[in-house]
Amino acid sequence: MELKEVKKTYRSGPIEVPALRGVSIRVAAGEFLAIAGSSGSGKTTLLNIIGGLDRADSGEVLVEGKNLQLLSSGDLARLRLQRLGFVFQAYNLLPVLTALENAEFTLLLQGVPVARRKERVQKLFSEIGLAGLEDRRPGELSGGQQQRVAVARAMVTEPALILADEPTANLDSGTATALLKVMEQLNRAHGTTFVYATHDPQVMERARRLIRLHDGQIASDVAHAAPAP
Amino acid sequence: MGVLVLVKIGWRNLWRNRRGTMLTSLALGLGLALLLISLGLLDGSHEQMVANGVRFGNGHVVIQARGYQETGSQELLLPAGVVSATEAFLNTGAMKRVSRGMSPRLMASGLMSSAVNADGVRIMGVIPNDERAVSLIPERIVAGDYLGDDQQLGVVIGADLARKLGVKVGAKVVLMTQAVQPPGPEAMVAGGGEMQSALLRVSGIFRTGIQAIDAHVIQVPLPEAQALLGAPGRVTQVAILLQGEGDALMVAQGLRKRLTGAPVEILPWRESMPALAQLLVLDDAFNYVMNGVVLAMVGMGILNTILMRVIERRYEFGLCLALGQRPAQLAIMIVGESLALTAISLALGLVLGLSVQHYFATAGLDLRWFFRSSLPSALVFDPIIYSRLSLMRIVSSGGIVFLAATVISFYPAFKAARTKLPDALKVF
Repeated sequence: MELKEVKKTYRSGPIEVPALRGVSIRVAAGEFLAIAGSSGSGKTTLLNIIGGLDRADSGEVLVEGKNLQLLSSGDLARLRLQRLGFVFQAYNLLPVLTALENAEFTLLLQGVPVARRKERVQKLFSEIGLAGLEDRRPGELSGGQQQRVAVARAMVTEPALILADEPTANLDSGTATALLKVMEQLNRAHGTTFVYATHDPQVMERARRLIRLHDGQIASDVAHAAPAP
Repeated sequence: MGVLVLVKIGWRNLWRNRRGTMLTSLALGLGLALLLISLGLLDGSHEQMVANGVRFGNGHVVIQARGYQETGSQELLLPAGVVSATEAFLNTGAMKRVSRGMSPRLMASGLMSSAVNADGVRIMGVIPNDERAVSLIPERIVAGDYLGDDQQLGVVIGADLARKLGVKVGAKVVLMTQAVQPPGPEAMVAGGGEMQSALLRVSGIFRTGIQAIDAHVIQVPLPEAQALLGAPGRVTQVAILLQGEGDALMVAQGLRKRLTGAPVEILPWRESMPALAQLLVLDDAFNYVMNGVVLAMVGMGILNTILMRVIERRYEFGLCLALGQRPAQLAIMIVGESLALTAISLALGLVLGLSVQHYFATAGLDLRWFFRSSLPSALVFDPIIYSRLSLMRIVSSGGIVFLAATVISFYPAFKAARTKLPDALKVF
């Protein structure tokens, strides 16, 4: 994934708010990358643009060689479904579906047959400690369990890239650490690239590469040593 | 993603807010119930109006001399042989099954006077047994007896006429009329055109509740009327009563073929009693308008509920779109939700509506709470209305409600499909 001089400005009547002021990043396959910054630094905007949920005003956004700026809405939706995974800060799951149904939702959208869907989801659930919770509705799961289901849903389509926008923001530190360990484990086992936004220092430490944003610009881009599993 | 999965999700979404779903279902169900009850009473009252109207009037089919419908001239009489030809026709295989009876009648205007008063009357010369099979007047005798074959000088009159003339059963009255002068070669029968009178004894008094009949119609034996009017062997019309009004057109067409060339007009009841037919059309139109208003109001309720739910779930839709769901699939999900809501409402409405309709079908709705005096002459009315609801009405009413709800759901579905990313994902 590569961004070249990406700029984004939000306009509300006469008021203009620059969210990104020329951001350039290159992310290799298999990276475990955190984007840090205070509120308003442009983290969410950056993730939205990488994920095709929003369009940059200028610059290039390349995901697996495709320039997202040139794709139609339909093509972006297909890209998100087939090559990207998303984990949001909260309310990740559809409340009327069970944990299993939520996790297989993207496979349903892809038209994968039921037997194959169940097999993949069950395997992931076992891998990330959700076995036995398949039939529970989100309201019957803890915050950490819900986020794990969201991670399972993001993983189940075997995407190239998973984008997580402050996935641990609503979790206590212990649960947050456990979730990050799951993400790391999946990153190592499957080689899936993880890019997640955070403003939590504890969470930042676990990233193998940390990009800091400040006022819509990259303030630093540092590689870390891998933390203890 | 299959449509069934989307509908399943839509169905489950309905029950996130059970109370809201049940309230909306009840509202729509009540609308359908009112529609069914209203249509049942409408159809039942129309059926009764037609059944009574033809039996107080000209029957389901009437054969008259050509021009009689327009002029009402008592000079216009049916050619000889029409009555026997009609009788023969109605005794054939298929016609026998659909016909209940026929009554030849000689109609004229006259004056009836008693010792106390006098009034204009509409004379009907009838064969009592035949008239019993066709008309309701013989069943509405409130004093004395209906005409019998041996009562050549008897007359039955309406209760309002009896009160005006100050007569009771057994009283003598004088009937005066003008003998007919039929056109053509049969003109100049003895006494043709001159005033004739007869002294009659009131054998029975009837009350139909229809002022025009109770105040002006009298019935005498046909031979007496023929003698009075100087028209031996002649009648004005043959009124035919059928098993059901649906056969009227078929019988009329059959009779036209059978009586080809005869100077007659053969009219189904809609043509011989246009006022009744128009009344039913007007009544239908009014009911449809009222039902349309009720449906529109209920539809607004559904629209409000579904639209509110779409607006409340904006984030959820944003999530689905972010995951790669197509806008069209979101729209199908919303339509599925609306259809599920409609299905529940239809079930409630059918249970409620058909229960009440069944009560009105058996016990009837008594309108005497509202009508204290005789009914207006423009209406042919039984005060107790029995509901009649056909399967076609039930299916079409349910279908209309279902279709309306489906169409109504398109706007919220469209709105859901137009959810904008990434704005919809902003939680805080």
